[in-house]
Amino acid sequence: MTDTDPTTPTDAPTDTAADAPTDTAADAPTDTATEADGDPSIDRPDRPTVLYPIRVLEGESLPTGIAELLANAHVVLAGYHVIPEQTAADQAREQFGERAMAKLEEFAAALSDAGATVDVRLVFTHEAQATINRLIYEHDCLAVLVPNGVDVPESVLLAVRGDVGLDRNTRLVAGLFATTDATITLYHALDGDEPDAEGESLLETTTAALVDRGVSPEAIETILDRPDAPIEAIAGHAADHDAVVMGETDPSVTTFVFGMPSEQVAERFLGPVFVVQRERPGEGQAGDDEPGEE
Amino acid sequence: MGPDDATKRDDRGDPAPPDQPAPAVEHDRDRGEGELERTIGLVGGLAIGIGTMIGAGIFVFPGLAAESAGPAASLSFAIGAVVALLVALPLSELATAMPRSGGGYFFISRGLGTGPGAVIGIGLWLGLVFASAFYLVGLGSYAGQVFAEAGISLPVDPAVPLGVAFGVALTVLSVFGTENTASLQNAIVIVLLVILTLFLSYGSLDALGVFGTESTPERFLPPGGMVPVLRTAALVFTSYLGFAQVATVAGDITDPSRNLPLAMVGSVLVVGAFYVVTIFVATSAFGSARLGGFGETAMVEVARAFVGLPGALAIVVAGLLATFSSANASILSASRAVYAVSRDDLLPTSASRLNLRYGTPHVALGMAGGPIVVLAATGQVELLAEVASVLHLVMYGLVCVALIQLRRESPEWYTPSFRCPAGFLVAGLGTLASLSLIAFMQPASIGVGAAVMVAAYAWYRYYATDVELKGAF
Repeated sequence: MTDTDPTTPTDAPTDTAADAPTDTAADAPTDTATEADGDPSIDRPDRPTVLYPIRVLEGESLPTGIAELLANAHVVLAGYHVIPEQTAADQAREQFGERAMAKLEEFAAALSDAGATVDVRLVFTHEAQATINRLIYEHDCLAVLVPNGVDVPESVLLAVRGDVGLDRNTRLVAGLFATTDATITLYHALDGDEPDAEGESLLETTTAALVDRGVSPEAIETILDRPDAPIEAIAGHAADHDAVVMGETDPSVTTFVFGMPSEQVAERFLGPVFVVQRERPGEGQAGDDEPGEE
Repeated sequence: MGPDDATKRDDRGDPAPPDQPAPAVEHDRDRGEGELERTIGLVGGLAIGIGTMIGAGIFVFPGLAAESAGPAASLSFAIGAVVALLVALPLSELATAMPRSGGGYFFISRGLGTGPGAVIGIGLWLGLVFASAFYLVGLGSYAGQVFAEAGISLPVDPAVPLGVAFGVALTVLSVFGTENTASLQNAIVIVLLVILTLFLSYGSLDALGVFGTESTPERFLPPGGMVPVLRTAALVFTSYLGFAQVATVAGDITDPSRNLPLAMVGSVLVVGAFYVVTIFVATSAFGSARLGGFGETAMVEVARAFVGLPGALAIVVAGLLATFSSANASILSASRAVYAVSRDDLLPTSASRLNLRYGTPHVALGMAGGPIVVLAATGQVELLAEVASVLHLVMYGLVCVALIQLRRESPEWYTPSFRCPAGFLVAGLGTLASLSLIAFMQPASIGVGAAVMVAAYAWYRYYATDVELKGAF
């Protein structure tokens, strides 16, 4: 979709961020406020793009501390409203559109007051998952936020699984927290027969990558252990931190943003969880992902 | 979501930023009000079309059709398919140019103006009400057959009371049910097609004398030649009304320039083939006169003749599913028609209000469900079917006229991403075929249809003379 737009090469996410304000400048008055703060691509070329899905008409609102947590991000504030099959989508939009948009703009203003750049999208949909997947893809989002309340984010847990998502994980963490006082704890759960040395070297590589991206080495801690149930272990360690960053699970064509593990962690942890998205497949595969044909 | 999606993005009204070509927006974006997610793919579109149509042609009409046209009733069904195809192509073009709920009504009101729009919009609502009532009586017949198969004899024919009960239940369900029914609809259609394919393959082999006893071929054309065949074509045309339902969800369909025409034409071809084969099999199994005697559930007897009780039960189940899905789809379509008309101020706007708790258009659903239940209570299967067809055929004729009109005027906003091949010819034939078919209906049906349209026009003159819809897009 976005890749057919000549201004938006998919392989260059910063360009997407740069393109986004043009994309939505006329979409929502909020962007005027955002633009007054400057084009995100100019003042912070490395702002990680985070999708923040919010069920805007069901009374969901910004949890405390979430604006501060996202201060260094480019937030795609994705308001959505799920409508039943028997209702025409434009009928729902006609009735609830303005109200939902007003609410979203309020949230967007709060986010940009805290320092974030914001794109506002409002979608009326029969399938929330299809919408979220599409928006992740269109904005080339680095991560999706499972929002939960948080105090001032002082420490962040990054669950490291392997080399695969390393680049994206570190881009997100460094982009969001390098300039803050937050400490970053890298955690790796060893598999049954994975040697300790391998886990240690993974944590070292990750640390190095974070330092490369501007995180102070003093702010980084590491934990390595060999739990029976990795998900519970992540949730357990998370309890000592204010926010969790973890990868998507199950690399399959259909992407479940709130797939089981991150969902479980979010439920037990009760704090915000960033789910780092895999690199989006090329256009051909994206076509296979067409919602509604399953 | 193919690469060509970008070409049909709907970004009406707002000028493009000067530094780039018109922005490509795939999902219907309305600045300040949000965008709409497209969630129905080709399979979903086909399921809507097939699911709406297949209930009537196979599970209600074979007995009635064979009685009046004999084995040539398959020809009647084939004629219906041709008429439907002639309309489906222009309709696809219009739907890709104006992907809004409301379907035919929307195209006619924008192409031809408010007057015809009002007649068709209100006519479409009531046409779907008649169609739903017809499907409900069919559903009631199959539900009644369940009692018959169980050996319970009832003092009265249960078809009408059961149909009414289903009508009430479906209306209530559609107001309060928040479960998405799309996947259920797909599953029902697949189960139906499997049962029918097995049954019809067996039946065709039997009819051709591959096994069993070769049946004596009946005279193909009925006495009276083509007139009864055309009359039957008019009667059974209700079996094809569903293809236009695909256009009413045009705004929800992914890659509409490809999926809309494919779903409409594809569903007509699929159900048309099933109808023709069904009549062939049914008339080979019994003589047409005897088939007619079985009434709405004739197919159950055909199945029983081939494979005994299991066959009969399979067809009862299939009939329940098919008529249920047709009735349900028509109630929802009728409520969408009410919405489309009231959005344009041709009906009070309160008619399209949604309740926030369930997100469903409860007023519109009530305006669909109420009259449906009343009409189902009359139990007049043939009259209900024909009035539904008359009202739809007028719309189809005018849809074709709207296509010709819009192509000739070619206003700036008219940029369909699918263009009907040989547009003027197809649309001209479509108009002619649709309106000619009406001439073969019973006078009573034409009378009721005309009365509905006159009443709709009178309402427009009384309530909405100041509404200007032509070209309002």
